[in-house]
Amino acid sequence: MKIVVCVKEVPDMESKFKIIDDSKIDESQIAFKMNDFDEYAVEAGLQLKEKYGGEVIIVSSGPDRITKEIRQAFAMGSDWGIHINDPEITAGDGYVVSSALFKAIESLGDVDLVLTGVQAEDDQSAITGVMIADMMGLPHCTNVVKIEVGDDNKTLTVNRELEGGLNEIIELSLPAVLTIQSGINQPRYPTLPGIMKAKKKKLDVKKAGDLGLAEVGDAGSKTNFIKMFFPVSEHKAEIIEGDPATAAQTLVNKLKNEAKVI
Amino acid sequence: MARILVVVDQRDGVVSEATLELCKAAKEIASGLGATPAAAALYKDDSVAKEVAKYIPEVLAVADPKLEKYTADGYSQAVKSLVESQDVKGVLIAHSYDGVDFAAKVAMDIGAGIVSNCNKAEIKDGNVVFTRNTYNGKIQEEKSVKTDKFVATFEKGAYDKEEAGAEGSVTAVSVTLGDIRTTVKDVIETMAGAVDISQAEIIVSGGRGTKEKDKYNEIIVSLAQKLGGEYGASRPVVDSGWTDAARQVGQSGKTVAPKLYIAAGISGAIQHVAGMKGSQCIVAINKDPEAPIFNVATYGIVGDLFEVIPEIMNALG
Repeated sequence: MKIVVCVKEVPDMESKFKIIDDSKIDESQIAFKMNDFDEYAVEAGLQLKEKYGGEVIIVSSGPDRITKEIRQAFAMGSDWGIHINDPEITAGDGYVVSSALFKAIESLGDVDLVLTGVQAEDDQSAITGVMIADMMGLPHCTNVVKIEVGDDNKTLTVNRELEGGLNEIIELSLPAVLTIQSGINQPRYPTLPGIMKAKKKKLDVKKAGDLGLAEVGDAGSKTNFIKMFFPVSEHKAEIIEGDPATAAQTLVNKLKNEAKVI
Repeated sequence: MARILVVVDQRDGVVSEATLELCKAAKEIASGLGATPAAAALYKDDSVAKEVAKYIPEVLAVADPKLEKYTADGYSQAVKSLVESQDVKGVLIAHSYDGVDFAAKVAMDIGAGIVSNCNKAEIKDGNVVFTRNTYNGKIQEEKSVKTDKFVATFEKGAYDKEEAGAEGSVTAVSVTLGDIRTTVKDVIETMAGAVDISQAEIIVSGGRGTKEKDKYNEIIVSLAQKLGGEYGASRPVVDSGWTDAARQVGQSGKTVAPKLYIAAGISGAIQHVAGMKGSQCIVAINKDPEAPIFNVATYGIVGDLFEVIPEIMNALG
């Protein structure tokens, strides 16, 4: 199977975020990592490759520093990758980025399966995988928590997560696009030999022009970004101050005497 | 007049609460734009349409055996067809499991911009400005579309539920559906026979901040037992296999409303909060003072749960 996994780099969500000019995150104070959901997608791709043979190709869009996450996916066992490194694509909206990923995937020819994470932790849009499927003219399934390949190697049976602990069992034919939900597997840690091998794996760098993308950035986008801000909550918890022992004692008193719940 | 069209979120003919919230949103957006609110009920018959007509003035009923079960192809083809024939300006879709499965496809197929996971829509200078959560709920952003039409998905709870009122009209619209490339074989319960924490009066839940399985057991389970309650978890704990899926609280797990809910090392992503915000008293313990969990908690302690919880155990005697 020729499997493509789309990977995105995101900030560590426990970072202390600062907003510059109401328009962007101050990236100087932030640690970046691979989007959690994409790590599950990489592992899902590797498990399929181990069972059915073939290759796992990583496609990712972002600046120079994302080679760290791409190499991490290589170290886990992916074969090679395409790094879409073009600020004009990064400046575009989800539609522009999806178009770039689609063009990169299309250039590979005869792809059997495209995997993405369910969503990116930073943008939380959950649209990329579905857009790529639509551009490729392929069926898709989102929120996938189990994948089985049919005996004919041409069909997939997948579990799609639903609300409240339900799973829907869905059959679709290959090629297809799946968006992978967390918990589908336990992503492996890169091994030392894996890390050594990752350094030598092929990583092609592409710009919008290489991919035949005419309209990028704001011009290619279908949405406008207006501004970003910290949410102002109408409700804030009563914060109990003091060292752990004092705070704990105060909390227990309040739960007993004020809230009367213990 | 152009329509702001809600795509009804339902399973097996049972209309979800999210649909009623979307009806409210559609009325607000339509009134600001000089449009009319309407809903599209896609099902095997017009029973869903009749139910939704209690909440919105106009329902377009698309009845087709191919729409008995949700599929991305069935829904996106039906919505596309309605947009082309019925003067639709905006399409509102629930940010539910089904909604995220087809919303972006609808946007692509009608050539519209999509803003997903919104929690608010306001009309400014004749344009709809959407507010949405990003960065795990820590930052919000405003977006609009550049296209004539728009598609937006709304997170659960973004709007109050619309109340039933005067019966709206139901108009049957026939559409021609093409290939449906996914087949629904079955729906299974993944937590059957497991523990039911939703009946507990006290729940202590641990999140990613509990670090590892042994520590989750040592800290979270111990406190739950000391309080005579049940222990629960946020998604990352279950994903990592530290406890059973049946103990997961949130959108994809259990919805709980105990007297006391203690959330330790849980950031408070909306998917988790959706499952516990009805609790009578919520205690949040987190070392990140900006964690969104503090916005829903009654009491908060900013600190290391491994230091705070043992002290709570001491204080309980």
